Parts: sequence; structure tokens; C-alpha cells
Amino acid sequence: MIIVHITALAQALGVHRNTIRNWMKSGRIRARSAPGKGILFSRKDFDDFCQAFRLEPEHLVFKELSLPLVPATVDAAPEEGLNHVPSTSREDSMSGKITGAVLVVGGGIAGIQAALDLADSGYKVHLLEKTSGIGGKMAQLDKTYPTNDCAM
Amino acid sequence: MVECGRHLNIEIHTLSRVTEVLGKKGNFNVTVEQKPRYVDMDKCIACGLCTEKCPKAVPDEFNMGVGKRKAIHIKYSQTVPLKYAIDSGNCLYFLKGKCKACEKFCPTGAINFQDQPRKISLNVGSIILAPGYEPFDPAKADIYGYGRIADVVTGMEYERLLSAGGPFQGHLLRLSDNREPKKIAWIQCVGSRTKNCGNLYCSSVCCMYAVKQAVVTAEHLHGDDVSQTVFFMDLRSHSKEFERYYEDARSRGVRFLRTRPHSIMPGKNNIGVSIEYTNDRGQRVEEGFDMAVLSVGLQAPPDALELAEVCGIELDRYHFAVTESFNPVATNRDGIYVCGAFQGPKSIPRSVTEASAAACVAGRSLLEARGTLTLEKTYPEERDVSGEEPRIGVFVCSCGINIAGVVRVQELAEYARGLPSVVHVENNLFTCSTDTQDLIAASIHEHRLNRIVVAACTPRTHEPLFQDTLREAGLNAYLLEMANIRNQNSWVHQKDAEAATAKAKDQVRMAVAKAALNAPLSRMTVPVVQKALVIGGGIAGMTAALEFAEKGYPTILVEKSDRLGGNAWHIGRTARGEEVRAVLLEMIPRVENHPEITVLKRAQVVSVRGSVGNFVSELEVEGKRRTEEYGVAVVATGGREYQPEEYLYGRDPRVMTHLQFDEELRERAPSIHKARSVVFIQCVGSRQPGRLYCSRVCCTHTVQSALRLKEMNAEMDVTVLYRDMRTYGTREELYFRARELGVLFLRYSLASKPSVFQEGGQLCVEVFDHVLERPVRISADYLVLASAILPNDIQGLVELYKCGVNEDGFVNEAHPKLRPVDMTVDGMFVAGLCHYPKPMDEAVAQAQAAVSRAAVLLARERLQLDAVKSYVTERCDGCGLCLDVCPYMAIRLEEYEKEGKVHRRIATDKALCKGCGLCEATCPKEGVMVHGFTLDQLRAQVNALVEAL
Repeated sequence: MIIVHITALAQALGVHRNTIRNWMKSGRIRARSAPGKGILFSRKDFDDFCQAFRLEPEHLVFKELSLPLVPATVDAAPEEGLNHVPSTSREDSMSGKITGAVLVVGGGIAGIQAALDLADSGYKVHLLEKTSGIGGKMAQLDKTYPTNDCAM
Repeated sequence: MVECGRHLNIEIHTLSRVTEVLGKKGNFNVTVEQKPRYVDMDKCIACGLCTEKCPKAVPDEFNMGVGKRKAIHIKYSQTVPLKYAIDSGNCLYFLKGKCKACEKFCPTGAINFQDQPRKISLNVGSIILAPGYEPFDPAKADIYGYGRIADVVTGMEYERLLSAGGPFQGHLLRLSDNREPKKIAWIQCVGSRTKNCGNLYCSSVCCMYAVKQAVVTAEHLHGDDVSQTVFFMDLRSHSKEFERYYEDARSRGVRFLRTRPHSIMPGKNNIGVSIEYTNDRGQRVEEGFDMAVLSVGLQAPPDALELAEVCGIELDRYHFAVTESFNPVATNRDGIYVCGAFQGPKSIPRSVTEASAAACVAGRSLLEARGTLTLEKTYPEERDVSGEEPRIGVFVCSCGINIAGVVRVQELAEYARGLPSVVHVENNLFTCSTDTQDLIAASIHEHRLNRIVVAACTPRTHEPLFQDTLREAGLNAYLLEMANIRNQNSWVHQKDAEAATAKAKDQVRMAVAKAALNAPLSRMTVPVVQKALVIGGGIAGMTAALEFAEKGYPTILVEKSDRLGGNAWHIGRTARGEEVRAVLLEMIPRVENHPEITVLKRAQVVSVRGSVGNFVSELEVEGKRRTEEYGVAVVATGGREYQPEEYLYGRDPRVMTHLQFDEELRERAPSIHKARSVVFIQCVGSRQPGRLYCSRVCCTHTVQSALRLKEMNAEMDVTVLYRDMRTYGTREELYFRARELGVLFLRYSLASKPSVFQEGGQLCVEVFDHVLERPVRISADYLVLASAILPNDIQGLVELYKCGVNEDGFVNEAHPKLRPVDMTVDGMFVAGLCHYPKPMDEAVAQAQAAVSRAAVLLARERLQLDAVKSYVTERCDGCGLCLDVCPYMAIRLEEYEKEGKVHRRIATDKALCKGCGLCEATCPKEGVMVHGFTLDQLRAQVNALVEAL
């Protein structure tokens, strides 16, 4: 078994990491994900893959494991055993693009400041507030120390 | 806040919560559930008719249940977005199926009872969590009588009682009999620092808010019989200028009692309270007060757990988000960041700093998609007002009661109506609120106004807002004039309404006279040099350099010594226990090898020209000079340890400072192991006349060292002599643990400092013990002095950049709460110890915040300069007097030929000029003027003032 770092592979192919993941899901690359950011190939699949994409295998290999060969199909069952990702960070299928938007949860002074900084430096911001208006606790304060300025 | 509501690229989703987060950093799919508002946001004009007609009144949660609101309501008068909402849990239609009064009376048909909850799907690259905190509910602890005794209120309720926008319009009344309370007590650490309520941590902010409330109360109340008492355990005024504020409160007569009251009992007829406590002599005292304020602590919001579960992030046992010292805003899930009190109780400036830091790291990972989803703001074409007679509109702000409580605003508005060229006058509760901006714009169109005077607060904070309003209404921004009738009037003349109103009239008359002469000005734009300078190569400086470089901006890092790392080389561990040396050894090569960072060691800045976006400096590197251009600069010049002159320091090798003792622990642990007694003295060089500030980190450092010693050898006597222990936030746990392990804490006061002497070769410390009421003598094998942190001397830089430092030598920020990392000079930012003593995590957050703020400037390729600049008139004869006074070197002398003769004349550099006006004041022949402040305008203002005399 061969573990390749997904970032290294993405760089070698000139695509985004998520693209590699999508190819793995669609079966275009015969491999599956390993702990961390690694992906796991069988020796043979890896050699075929390198030949197909004209890659030099020695630059990519992160680690070689001497495990018994498991048929590396896309829906190979033991995947859960290898993954230590918490159940909550499920990965959705997605396009490889990076989104230029940020979600800010909470419309208090911290949320407002973060939203303004991001919006002023070129990002779309979604500001989420659980009540009917932003301002948070600071809006409830009368004056602030040490200058006794109005909190509004 | 208003800026947020008006920002094109910020979409506010109210009444919403996150229900699902899928995907990874760079590409999250978030599902948001939005509750129905039952009011169409597009149709609602916030006229307030619905609230007036709504028959159902419920306790107002914004006023902490003091006072009422209606079922259809806005949270407070300046709410953003300013749109009403129906609270379906209280609305009669939803409860009983009839009423619909609001629907009947709404003039725009905005009410929609059929509104349904919505699911919104958002695609974002990063997520920042800032859900804030919840005040501790003291009803859980019956000893305070909260809920049973009317005159026991929480700190937050008291804020509302004081507030101009609160239930009593800022006239402080107690709740039992609606009379003015005279004698008020504050009880500290309610819901903090005890095991009983489960919150072992210190809430960090309550000491200061109680002190502030005590000080502000004194201003609110009348008569000589008013008094304020604060019951406290340790007073924690550990941030910038807080110690001075505390001392000021003491000098104003606020009484501070170091004791935890046993219980609060109701006063006679349940009016007032009676507090039982033990005084510092150990006697039991029962004292009556008109009112008690519980300084309730901060705790994680109730929905923290759900949010953490949905987002997949880790929380600590108090349900605050877990972060690391060297990555202070990142959670365990890549791409999700936290800021504010959700990460631990903290004050506003730290929340704001962290918010910017979170923005910095959230933006960093989305670099390639920057600008793909944003819109540019466009303004309508400016109306040409050159041929028009002045038509002035005057807007008088009440600022709640901030102004109206002193100045008679109605009378002022009437007066303004009679001034020359004034065609329209209005009085607003808050002129800065969103709806008033629309109102101003509407008035401009309706009355064809071409000059606007706003009589309100300071142009420093609010001029940009009103200028924007003018631009949106098609007027040039410089046709605005502000009269500061708050800071310069109602705040300083609180006791004399008559004279204040007369002064306000003068101010408005002057502003109107000047406004009539205001002319449209155009702003010049300059390209922004896409490069950053970082001064100082400590942890803060290196973090800033790395963040700039990661964002793709070439960065120059200037370090005066021959190695990077600064003070971090001398520090063992952070408060969370992380090894500092390891981080340092990993960080330094990353900085030195980064392709975008140029590290210059043994270097310093020797000259500065230019201004924001276009600084040019000469740097001296190992004796050689080089010139660099940069758009922004971060000052992270750091601090150093105070070298004590007392306690036999330098005369006995067993007396050492913290940093020396850390080194001792690192290098010679076995000999320390054998010590029988180690004594720590706190506040050496801090919190005393001449250095009236708390060095913030020493209490935690001491407790950590004490714990280390106890772990080495549990038999060792470890004694800490302190004035107030200031282990704020979750650091309190360390203090608690130290006491559990038997570290002895003895308090001393500034008046009776411990004395240190040698007796037969033995090092002895003598201190007056308050409990035993007699001096105690302790022999010590080591005496560790928690010496103060001093800022490095940066007088040279201060003069070069014309920035400011406070009286202790720490760099001033533009605004202590809202712009905590911006310096007073545009384009310059501050991080680390040179701003104020602080632990590592706060320095890192500040450095990231500085980069975030700087990136806002760098993100624009071109920068608009202020139009208030000097210009040369025909009358200049080249005498050159102004050249000497210009502090920015923005004026030079030129020669030109006219009719065969060579003449001299000055020329000004618009990019360098700050519009300070020194040249105009110096020029004897009106040869140089400043736009917006020409002699004609100033003359008109002065004439307007003197005409009343």
C-alpha cells in the first residue's frame, strides 16, 4: 500500500485537492482516503496511475506500508477504520472551487468587526443573528470604560 | 453597526441559526433556519404605528425586563436593520386568533401573518463564530435575594437603568419605589470565581464595569449624601488605562471593601437592602443600602453546545471554544474560527481585536477567491451647486438624553430656523440612526438643500457617516458641517442647562455661517504600495510578517538585534502550558525562508516620508542605508523587564526577576529542587506612582512558577506576597490549584511594602499580615520579583511617524474600544508589548488583527485621500515662512518665470499634506490656505460668534 499526500498530488497534477477527492469518488482515480490528508493506493493502481498521468512516483510517495493488498475499489468497506475524522465533519461532495464568502455567526461587536474587516477586504459576508437586530450586548451598555464613551 | 447595515457586501440574516455545516475549509455548505418575522422588511418603514397600536405589552428583554415593550417591536431605537418584528410567543393573534391591530394600522401593508420559517442555504469558504456570552443568572444563588428583593439588580439591568435609551431615560431610579437611590453597593464575583456556581473562572470584565458604574452613578445623582461601595475580592484592573481609572474612582470617593458579603436581606418594607459582611478586622457588620448591584459574570451562551455540535468544534468544560495560544482564533476544525466572549470571558477591545484576527485568518485561506463575490459601491452623480444660493438644512440630534438631557434641543431647533440661509430644521432622537439617514436624504431632495449642518457629536466618529449620506443624495461630501454639541457641550456643562443651550446656539450659528461658504471639494486618489513594513521581530512582529506574506504581500521585517524572537527566548511556557521555545524554533525559519519576507537584522528606521499607502523610509541595516517603499506599517517593538532597584535586587544573588528565575528553572533545576522556601513578591515596579499600570501577566506567571515548584517538591514552602491577584479568565483555575497545593498567599498594601534583608547570611522577607495584624518574617532561599513590563523606548519612531504614546510610553490606539490595533496615524497598526503588557496569545491575536486592518487598506489598489489639503493662492510671494512650520515636509519652494522675471512660489504635495493648517496660520499674506478651512470660512465662523456679544 502506498500513501500519497493529497496536497503533493494536487500540486503535481496542477488541480485542487478537492478535485482529486472528486475523482476518487467518481472512480477516475482508484484510491481511497487515508488518515490526515493522505490517500491510499495499492502498488499496482499507483503505478498505473503514475503512468497514465506521466508522474514520477518517487517524488510523490509519502509512505509505503507493507500491508496485505486489499482490492482498492471506490466503495471499499474498511474506510471507516482508517478515518479518525469526527462524525460531525462530514464531507459533502463539492466542486473544487474556493468560495469568496464568509459566514459570521453572531451580530455582536465581535461579529460586526469581523464582518466589516472581511467585507472591506474583498469578501462577501453573511452575518447571522439570532434576534431581530444586530448590536449584541454592547448596544445594551450605557457607557464604556476607561473613557466613559457612549457605547452606541 | 450602522456601517454594517449599509455595507453592500454584508448580508444580515436576522432571527436565524445554523442547523447544518457540510464541507471543508474553502467550501462549506451551511444550512440556516430563519424564523418568520411576520413583517415584510422591504415594506416596513419603521414608522412605529404598529407598536403604538399593539395592545400586548411584555417585559422588554433589551432592558433586561425593566420596562415594557410590545409584541410587535424593535429591539432598541437604533436597531440595525430598523424593521419591526412580531414576537409570535406573545402576539395576541397567535395566542388567541384575533387582534391584527398592527395589520389594520400599518400604512404600507408590511404585516404578513402568513410568514413561514425559511431554510437558507449558504455557500461560504470560512466560518467565524461569535455568538457572545450570557450574563450569569443570580436567581440560582439565593443568598443574594435576586428576584425576591426589588432593589437587587444585575450589572446588566443597572446598565439599562443608567442608559439614556433605557426605561427611565437615564434618570437613575430604584425599582421598589421609583425614587432616586443615594447609597448603592456593588457585589463582585457573582457567578465567577467560586465552585458553588460551577464557574471557577474569573469573568475578567466585572471589576471594571462595576468601577465604571460607580463613577457614572456619581455623575447621575445629586446631593452630598450619595455614596458608592464596591465589595470585592481582588480588584482586577489589568488592561490599558484601567489602573488609572480605578485610582481615579478611589480619589472620587468610591468606597472599596475587600470582603465577600455573606448575604443580602431585604430592607424595611422590602425597600432597599441590608448587607451582612465581615470587615477586614474580622468583625461582622450589617449595613443598609438603597440598592445592590450584582456584578454578574459572563458565561457561554445556552446555544453554544448546539452550535459546537453543528459545527463540529471542541468546547471546554465551561462551554467556551477551545483554542491554542499561538493560533488564538482557530478551532479544531479547519476553516472555522472563533472570536469574542465565546472563546472565554473578555472585554470589548480584546473581542474586537480577536474579531479582526479571525477575519485575517478566515480571509487568508480564501485568497484566490477574493473579490469574486463582492460589489463596488456607486454614488449618483454629484449635483452642481456652484450657482445656487445656499439652502441649509440643520439636523439637531438629541442623542437620547446625552444631549437633550442638558441642552434644550427644541429651542435650539427653533433658533436654527431663524438663521440666515436655513430653509429646513429637524430634531432627531438619534441623527446617526439608519432611518434618519434616509430622512436626511429625503429632505435634501424635497427642500433642494445644498448645505447640511448636523448638530450632534464629534466629527471624528460620525462625519464619514453623514458625508456618505450626502453623497448618496447627490451632494458633495464637503457640503457638510458638524457642530459638536455633545462632547463640547452637554457632557461638559451638565449642571448648567441655560448656559449650555446658549452655547449650543452659538455653535450652530457658527456652523451655519461656515457651511454657507463650504464649497464642493474633490478627493485625490493615490496608488497604494502593495507592501508592508513590520518593525520588531518578536512573536508579534513575526506573526504579522507571516500573515502579510501568506496574503501575498511582500513584507520587510526590521529587527534591531541580531536575532528574531525577542522576549519569547526567555519564556518557558504559556499560560496554557505550551512550550514557547519549540514554537519559536519552528517559526523563525519559516519567517526567514519565506519568499515574500525580507528580514533585516541589526536594522532600524531612520527616516519616514509620505503617508498611508505611500510611505518611504530609509532603513539603516548594519550601518548601511537602504530605501524602502511600503503602504502600511505594523509597530511591534515590544517591551522589556523592569530592573528592580528595591528588595536587595542586584545585591543578593538569591533575589531575581521572573525571567531570571525561569532561566534558573531551565538550567539549574536540581539546586532549586533543594530549596526549602521560595518567596514571590508581586507588583514590583507596577501599580505605583510613576508607573500606574498593571503588568497583566505577572500574577499568572507567578502562579505557574509556584505550581511548578510545588510539583517539583511538595514540601517546599512557596509564599506569594501580592496586592490583588489578577489571574483573569480561565487562568483563575491555576490560582485555585495553587491554593489547593498549599501555596501561601499573603496580601500587602502599597503603604506597607514588604522589607527584604539579610540576617546571618539568610535572606529574610518581612511583611505585615492583615489577618494576624502583625508583621510576619519569612526566610527565603529564592526571592522572585514579579517585575513590571516596560515598553521599549521608541521615542525616535514616535517622532518619525508623528504617532502618540501614553504617559507610560505605550503606543496609543486610535480608539481604545473600537479601533484597538489602529494607531493614531493612518496606515499604521500596533501589536504586542509595545501597546500594553500582555500574554503570548493576546499578542498573536493582536498581530493577526493588525494585518487584517492593514489588509483592508492594501485591498484597495487606490486610496482616496481626504480633500482637506493645503493649496497655494495667487498671493504667495515665496517668502518660505511656511516651509519651516510644516511638520510633514509637504511644502517646497519653486521658481517660475513670468514676464521675463524669475519669481518664487511654494508648491504643496497633496499626498503628504494632512491639512493641519499650520501653514495657513503662519502665512502673513493669505498665500496658502487649506480647503474647507479657508480664512473666509473661519472669519465667517468667528464673526458669527462675536455678533452675539
